[in-house]
Amino acid sequence: MSLAFDDYGRPYIILREQGSKKRMKGLEAYKSNILAAKAIANTLSSSLGPKGMDKMLVSADGDVSVTNDGATIVEKMEIQHPTAKLLVELSQSQDAEIGDGTTGVVVLAGKLLEQALTLLDKGIHPLKISDGFDRACDVAIKHLDQIAEEIDIQQNDHEALIQAACTALGSKVVSKRKRELGKIAVTAVLDVADLTRKDVNLDLIKIQTKTGGSVEDTRLISGILIDKDMSHPQMKKEVTDAKICLLTCPFEPPKPKTKHNINISNAEDYKKLYQQEQQYFVDMVKLVKNSGANIALCQWGFDDEANHLLLQNELPAVRWVSGTDVELIAMATGARIIPRFQEITPQKLGKAGSIREVQFGTSNERMLVIENCQCTKAVTILIRGGSQMIVDEAKRSIHDAICVIRNLIKDNRIVYGGGSAELACALQVLQYADEVSSVEQYAVRSFADALEGIPNCLADNCGLNPITSVAQAKSRQLAEKNPRIGIDCMELGTSDMKEQKIYETLSSKKQQIQLATQVVKMILKIDDVIAPDDY
Amino acid sequence: MSQFLQPTILLLREGTDTSQGRAQIVSNINAVQAVADVVKSTLGPRGMDKMIQTGPKVTISNDGATILNLLEVVHPAARVLVDIAKSQDDEVGDGTTSTTLLAAELLKEAKPFIEEGIHPQIVIQGYRKALELALEKLEGFSINISRDSPEDKRNTLLKCAQTALNSKLLANTKQFFSELVVSAVEKLDPNILDRDLIGIKNVTGGSVTDSFLVDGVAFKKTFSYAGFEQQPKRFENPKICLLNLELELKSEKENAEIRIEKPEEYQQIVDAEWALIYEKLETIVKAGAQIVLSKLPIGDLATQYFADRNIFCAGRVAQEDLLRVQKATGGQVQTTVNGLNPETFGTCGLFEEVQVGAERYNLFKNCPQSRTATIVLRGGAEQFIQEAERSLNDAIMIVRRCFKANKIVAGGGAIELELSRYLRHYARSVTGKTQYIVNSYAKALEVIPRTIAENAGLNSIEIMNKLRQRHAQGGDEGRWYGVDINGQSGVCDTHSSFVWEPSLVKRNALCSATEAACAILSIDETVKNPKSDQDTKMKPKGQPGRPPMGMRR
Repeated sequence: MSLAFDDYGRPYIILREQGSKKRMKGLEAYKSNILAAKAIANTLSSSLGPKGMDKMLVSADGDVSVTNDGATIVEKMEIQHPTAKLLVELSQSQDAEIGDGTTGVVVLAGKLLEQALTLLDKGIHPLKISDGFDRACDVAIKHLDQIAEEIDIQQNDHEALIQAACTALGSKVVSKRKRELGKIAVTAVLDVADLTRKDVNLDLIKIQTKTGGSVEDTRLISGILIDKDMSHPQMKKEVTDAKICLLTCPFEPPKPKTKHNINISNAEDYKKLYQQEQQYFVDMVKLVKNSGANIALCQWGFDDEANHLLLQNELPAVRWVSGTDVELIAMATGARIIPRFQEITPQKLGKAGSIREVQFGTSNERMLVIENCQCTKAVTILIRGGSQMIVDEAKRSIHDAICVIRNLIKDNRIVYGGGSAELACALQVLQYADEVSSVEQYAVRSFADALEGIPNCLADNCGLNPITSVAQAKSRQLAEKNPRIGIDCMELGTSDMKEQKIYETLSSKKQQIQLATQVVKMILKIDDVIAPDDY
Repeated sequence: MSQFLQPTILLLREGTDTSQGRAQIVSNINAVQAVADVVKSTLGPRGMDKMIQTGPKVTISNDGATILNLLEVVHPAARVLVDIAKSQDDEVGDGTTSTTLLAAELLKEAKPFIEEGIHPQIVIQGYRKALELALEKLEGFSINISRDSPEDKRNTLLKCAQTALNSKLLANTKQFFSELVVSAVEKLDPNILDRDLIGIKNVTGGSVTDSFLVDGVAFKKTFSYAGFEQQPKRFENPKICLLNLELELKSEKENAEIRIEKPEEYQQIVDAEWALIYEKLETIVKAGAQIVLSKLPIGDLATQYFADRNIFCAGRVAQEDLLRVQKATGGQVQTTVNGLNPETFGTCGLFEEVQVGAERYNLFKNCPQSRTATIVLRGGAEQFIQEAERSLNDAIMIVRRCFKANKIVAGGGAIELELSRYLRHYARSVTGKTQYIVNSYAKALEVIPRTIAENAGLNSIEIMNKLRQRHAQGGDEGRWYGVDINGQSGVCDTHSSFVWEPSLVKRNALCSATEAACAILSIDETVKNPKSDQDTKMKPKGQPGRPPMGMRR
């Protein structure tokens, strides 16, 4: 910030480190904020749609990730600019609330800001613009409610759900296998869903990744998969009718938490101590064995001695099972977690149809599959793929698909994709614009233009001529009064998205428009930026 | 030769910066103007926000006190402004920007007098006199609402909350939030109205209108150990045990050491430790608790023990949340389980763990002694919610004040103009310099409507003339005319369009602004110690000396 001088030529030092602070005011501030936010939106815009491109992001440590997921891209870009950060949070909150549509929301916000910039140039007060956007947003949301259709999720073997999952997966790297993956996601969600309460606890779907194989090898396991193997290579590799003893104490002699010393004065005592130690191991294994358990899963490690004894007693065991896995297994098998050996009782054991060790490819890595659990509430999706990057991206894609299905179970109303819903809203908003008598009219009209930006962007990404195709779709929507006409991205020969079966959830679309408007309003309200000069 | 030299008298350390006299006063006034300029554009319903970056943290705010605090003002005179904004914030919670502007404007009006050689004390006396008159008049003008029926009163509170929210980001949803705020304040004990008992929790995601009010307590799921998911997540009329106790297997004393002589004793020691924790857990279960909350950690052993017995537990509950649960459920926080008495347990209508956005929340609803409420705020971005929280805080404070004081005035600059008219009128009846000074005070008051109009992009000169004319016509008709940002004419009766504020806000604003102006006018010398200056330079960059404002309650 520049310094001011008083009547005697001395500078005013009003703020701390005033010289090193930068201040932008008024129009300059709006423009700089908008440009920064637009830069982010532009980066993402090429990732939108079924033919959207991926981004390769290299972190400071050299980790490479390739992704198409808006929230992941902006998160890994490590953005510094304060206004641009707002868009990052925008994308993340869409991710947290809905899970899908994270690219769309940022692109829409970018388009809105772009429109705001031209309005500012016309000399319209920023708050008038944001008021106009707000009114237009209400109109658009109401119209979405009108054009939304209820679908029967049960019908035709959950076909509608699979289609919706396919739409979500369509833009990802795994799109070639979208039907298979979509089915897996639908089955997984339906397995854990509570249809009467319309609630899905996503914690119960475990997504495990393993590089190797190809995406086609991705499987759904109705049980739990843990990335561990038996503690001793000679133990049985498969246990049927498993009775699981779930322990959170190590196979070691117990240690008091208080600091302690053992003073040994003669050889006899030493021998006794040794025997006592041995006795502990024997007792432990006996306690487990006596309860009727035929497999032990432990959160902690084993002493070698114990491991050996377990093998001798033909009791397969797994060590270092993570806390979350222990909990998941407890839920699925109905086991009670046992904190110490003295408390093992047969009632506390969990039951599973089979536990087996599976090996992948030629590698030596093994995993444990726990299947046919007593109360099968947890499922695992095992994702395979050629490289770590593909597997990671597939995981994100499946997560998106699962979120879409969950949202449909919560609220079974859908709108059609391919930009058709945005176009329909844009037309409605445009109609409304003429009814507004004040300055806000311009803002409302611009909102419609911004909404059109989404199909525009879709067409552009698909290599179509954006202006012609949007104009065509728009005129057909008006002529046929059919809000389902969108952009034929896949060039299937029809623009009716109902025929193409491009489903998006109503809640996601609504949230996108609301969140984008909210953040744009916030950016438009800032007229003064005070920041350290060094960026 | 040296003995012929006059010895120099060193009164102050070398490098000390002194400035004095009239020039100093003028210089201080200028500095204050510079600071007031920063917050000027945030006033009124069309006020803008400021984005301030301190280190990695970005704050977007419209709240005068928050902005001034984040600016890190170091100029000694200008700091006075920061302090009055803060005191207004602490005292009434809203109106911080107007207080700052008013103080700056009073000083600006005083500047020509000082330059012309009028003694500052005369100006100060004049201002004090004007303040006295203004306060008296303010009292006369305010409308008492205490006699109104409860519905009318609630309506008034809603209007006041809406006025406070008008200038904030939430302006478009002010109906919704004013309901929320008024309902929350109504939950409180009307005699105390403890602000701390209204909790505000932020969850990103969702639309702002997804925010909701819990008539009880809500807090985020605490860190949990394995076994937590097996606990029941819903109770009706549960018995809630509140603890300040660690439920973990641990060494009882920090520095204790055990010497074990015989190997057989080893097991006894181990068992003893287990017995200790089991004894605690058993006492809790026996007493019949169904929900156990503790400020300190509840370990995995205890979590599983409770899970086996269908008890819900949460460890590491934040102090303020535990306090609110205590107030809401009527329980008492225990520091030991010895002699645990079911009478110390609290209860509530319904306990539930629910999903809010990406987080899980514990809700305690329908509490019997519900003297507490929690607002769960939703919104698109972190900064958005933070600003929403600050705005709600202002609205809550205003409603609280209104609840207590029962007196309101019309906003939109109407009351300032009316006071200004009265003071001008009065000034004509006095002789001497005071006439000028009171007139200046009256002129300074006009800064509020003028700035509101300017910020809304209206022609402020034209509007001020219209307003002055309305008020000059006198009587009850013209009294409540203020700036109208929506209509064509630019002016309207703000009382009938429900722009209402508690008169206490104005009262406090006038008092503290005048006091601050007088304080600055009476400073005629600044002595700045060079040491303290160096201290600020020594501080590493990016580490503000004062804690950021975000922690404001």
